[in-house]
Amino acid sequence: MNLRALNGMPPWAWSFLAAVLVLILTYGISGQGDGQTITLALTVAPYLVLVGLGQMLVMTAGPGNIDVSVAKVFSLGGLLSIAVAESTGSWLLGLGAACGVGLCMASISVIAILLVRIPPIVATLATSLIASAISLTLAQGFQGSAHPDLRAFLNWSPLGVPAFAVVVAAFTLAVSWILARTVWGAQLLAFGQARRAAQFAGIRATRILVVVYLVSGILAALAGALRASFSAPNVELGNDYLLDSIAVVVIGGTLMSGGRAVPLGVWGGALFFILLDGLLNLIGWSYAGQNILKGFLVLTVLFLANGAPLIAPSAASATRKQPLSPETEPDEAPHE
Amino acid sequence: MQTDLTHGAPVASARNVSKRYGATQALAAVSLDVFPGEVLGIVGHNGAGKSTLMRVLSGMERIDDGTLSICGRSDPDRHGYPGVRMSFQEGSLAAELCVFENVFLSSRQDIDAKRWRTMASRMVETRLTEIFPDHGIDPSDYVDDLTLSERQMVEIARASLSEDLALLILDEPTESLGGKDVETFYDYVRALCRSGKAIILVSHRLTEVLAVSDRIGVMKEGRIVSMHKARNESETSLLRAMGGEVLQETKRAGNAAATKEMRPIVLEVPMQTVEGAPTRITARKGEIVGLAGIAGQGQEQVLDRLWRRNRDVRIEGGLAYVPGDRQKSGILPIWSVARNLSISAMAGLSRFGVRQMAAETALVTDWVARLSVRGGAEAPITSLSGGNQQKVIVARAFCSDAETILLDDPFRGVDIHTKAELYQMIKAEAEAGRSIIWYSSENAEMQHCDRAYVLRRGLVAGELAGAEISDEHIIGLSFAEARESTT
Amino acid sequence: MTSQTTRTNLFGITFPKGRVRRLLPALLTLVALVLILLICGTLQPRIWSQIGFTLIFSPIVALAIASMAQMVMMSIGDIDLGVGFFVGMVTTIAATLLRDTPVFGALALIGSVLAYAALGAIVQLRGVPSLIATLGASFIWLGIGMVILPVPGGTAPGWLSAYVFWTPPFGIPVPLVTMAVATAITWWMMQRSGLGVRFRTLGSNPAALARAGGSLVVTRMLAYGVVGCLGVAAGLALTGEIGGGDVNAVPGYTLTTVAAVILGGGMFTGGRAVAWGTLAGAVTLGLLTVLLTLLNLSSNLQPAVQGGIVIAVLAGRLLVERVAR
Repeated sequence: MNLRALNGMPPWAWSFLAAVLVLILTYGISGQGDGQTITLALTVAPYLVLVGLGQMLVMTAGPGNIDVSVAKVFSLGGLLSIAVAESTGSWLLGLGAACGVGLCMASISVIAILLVRIPPIVATLATSLIASAISLTLAQGFQGSAHPDLRAFLNWSPLGVPAFAVVVAAFTLAVSWILARTVWGAQLLAFGQARRAAQFAGIRATRILVVVYLVSGILAALAGALRASFSAPNVELGNDYLLDSIAVVVIGGTLMSGGRAVPLGVWGGALFFILLDGLLNLIGWSYAGQNILKGFLVLTVLFLANGAPLIAPSAASATRKQPLSPETEPDEAPHE
Repeated sequence: MQTDLTHGAPVASARNVSKRYGATQALAAVSLDVFPGEVLGIVGHNGAGKSTLMRVLSGMERIDDGTLSICGRSDPDRHGYPGVRMSFQEGSLAAELCVFENVFLSSRQDIDAKRWRTMASRMVETRLTEIFPDHGIDPSDYVDDLTLSERQMVEIARASLSEDLALLILDEPTESLGGKDVETFYDYVRALCRSGKAIILVSHRLTEVLAVSDRIGVMKEGRIVSMHKARNESETSLLRAMGGEVLQETKRAGNAAATKEMRPIVLEVPMQTVEGAPTRITARKGEIVGLAGIAGQGQEQVLDRLWRRNRDVRIEGGLAYVPGDRQKSGILPIWSVARNLSISAMAGLSRFGVRQMAAETALVTDWVARLSVRGGAEAPITSLSGGNQQKVIVARAFCSDAETILLDDPFRGVDIHTKAELYQMIKAEAEAGRSIIWYSSENAEMQHCDRAYVLRRGLVAGELAGAEISDEHIIGLSFAEARESTT
Repeated sequence: MTSQTTRTNLFGITFPKGRVRRLLPALLTLVALVLILLICGTLQPRIWSQIGFTLIFSPIVALAIASMAQMVMMSIGDIDLGVGFFVGMVTTIAATLLRDTPVFGALALIGSVLAYAALGAIVQLRGVPSLIATLGASFIWLGIGMVILPVPGGTAPGWLSAYVFWTPPFGIPVPLVTMAVATAITWWMMQRSGLGVRFRTLGSNPAALARAGGSLVVTRMLAYGVVGCLGVAAGLALTGEIGGGDVNAVPGYTLTTVAAVILGGGMFTGGRAVAWGTLAGAVTLGLLTVLLTLLNLSSNLQPAVQGGIVIAVLAGRLLVERVAR
């Protein structure tokens, strides 16, 4: 096996390869090879993909950037959109309300990060708490169900291909296009791989950070609204989506340290995760075992994918924060 | 080279020691002996190899070639060489910790683990009072809340605290100390020396080096080019040994390119001269203005004020910045040469925020050809040599539509051939009407400037124009302290 | 950069430079704590007794110890996003293995501490952000906890319950004893031992640690090991408090512990270890819940109040620093 040829594979291919592998295993174990499994995976995956795309943009903005509010914003979006859609009778207004609340929640994060200069992790955690409180309040005595039209659309799979998956796939392509073909996309990637270099190249931090966090918030709330319409709104609907969204982004080939976003890989990662859940269910693994496996998967990917080469001569001193090489040493001192 | 002061076996001796960082020969076959009971001064301009030599002698850096014998050992352990301590200029104290905790960290071997707090406090307190009687530092003060000069005092005291101290290396120890403290500090250095310790003093303050040292080594281009007995030298003779020349009077830019005099001033930074008079750093359209002097004397702050567009500076038109530390603040490591090159110009070429790929490709092809970047446009930036990376980063700034380009000593460690190409390009761009503010730690580079300001301690020590810009004059202005020390 | 603070003279005592700046947040938190306690006492006078104190402080013990863990983590410049599930997992181990087969239980707990140390090694060696590494690990803690106890259950070991129901002499409430001891040990380790100096140096300036000949990997592993130990202690305290095991008992600890450290004067950039301040922060946040309950504020709104307080505190601190400069 030629390792160099493997290195030449596009970064998103690995996750799809893993997904196909799991699919084959599933077929092998269940003994049936129908398209049902794929249709089911394609029906559930788009929600995770939407959240994952937002998370991907945030993580692409560089080290330390992460949105941990997606889970609670997801649940909130679901509850609110169903409530609004039920009271107005329009599912479109419901989705609009979800986007609006996502935007509001993300604005809290953005203000906290840029103005109060709180690290993103804590800012988004605080946002997450606020979203959770609103959800809990909304959910009291809540009895709503999704608009039938929307639900019908989400369940509609002509020729075994869910229509909603096609829409989200188109959106994924649009995100890819934005990253590749717009100035903002290029600036985000530059900013994420080397913040200081990007700023010296004339890129403004606010322009990047505001957009990624707002988009992540909106996508999480929108995905929540759609997911709630697909099944039923619930305060805990989004709980799995925080860890899963980070995991699928990392597995999909997006660099955790920022600067390289792989939107297609999010699909691969999401399909892999969902098929894996199915497979583990099939062979009788519990939800608990699935979590353990997911945790190890994330840590393994972290261990293999990030940072210095595996066998670095001075890995002990050179990988973190302050390398001790002579050329860089004088710059270590903080200068203001 | 042996003097009457040096007797007995050397504490440290280096023979033909060489060290190379990439393309830079930091040390080229240096041989040196340091004897107990002497103060050895080391002087030299930026990049002469002083810091590298000190790091080698303290055991922080492995050598490529040659032999070392330091306190009887040829290889350092995890703590460096036993008996050798170095006081750093900055960056080696943990700011969030107290003074005595920092002392404990570096002197664990000499401190009893059970009573370390009182012991470390007492040790540093005693030593501080010994060296700086008026220090005013409490061992429980947090380093974060100390002034620069207080931190320097702690660093010095900390380095001298070692029971088996044989060789003390002081790297620019008086850089941020006040007048009285400098005196008491040198008294202490002399006392240490009388007690048989060896001391190496690296400093660009020639008067101080002359006053306290027994011997003075002059470094240039990674070598010790000459060794002098301090008592036989004066500031002028030492300057001459370093290749400097004292300018008789600071001339105004009288004979500078007369055509450029007529052009409008596009940029102004208010400054002070070393005499305390207000002055300005200015640049005209199409002018190349240098910021020279010893590294870290305020040149980068001038660039920073410009880049951040501080309220007190006046700038017309757009700015582009070429950072000096290309690894940390220059290259975008994931990308190809083409993408690294076009990132700044991209916005100007775009239509409604959408990139115009054809225009970008044309721009990139043009610049890659102009600068003959090895590997072509699609090569990953990290696969390029330092010099070629620097070409790309310079090109990035020049292919933007900025009218003023700030250069932050970008050509360190770049090979001569590439440098020549880049100088040509800078000149061509200036001809085309761009203004260039160029900080360089290499004096030879400054000769490409129309005018140059020499900075010292954040102040303007002098302004040179045209043919006046020479290594000798820059060294003269950078090191001459006579005039201000009278004030 | 050079914030030239002068030495402060307060009540005739001269404080070293920077000490007051570091103590102030904790002192303000302490004032808030006392205020909240007084309001609680006014609303419900029955808390002024050994039983009353035990009742309101019991739920805070585990939080306080978990906050100590987070404080150690933040002192080296990292953040632990898995502490909530880790504590939950420990309760499941304590309520089953540790009670039934104490040897295996103890081994499992030691193993989880070693796992933490290994996590530290990954973070240091591979340059992985601590928050993603700990987040990934939290999947594992959750999974293991669910394997051991799929639904909340089990029983706390006898000695643990015995300790929780112990009535110390002089009317001292047990929770206060536990919290004080845990904090004192953490404080001693961080401020009075060489290990603590190394931890804080790693957080403040790793280059200084390397120059002093310390190993960054070993130091980070030790720090993570300590975090694991404190996490285990928090889990045991929680087991005693809830009388059983539940991996999902306290997922909210993740933010609450960070908030407690911040309220106590800790920083995200590392180097600062404020054990007593963190205790004050944790108790304040815990009492806030009590107060909100006494005020009949819906428990649904409590997370929002906590989130709002964290942002407000950090904003206030930024404002104070701006004004002080």
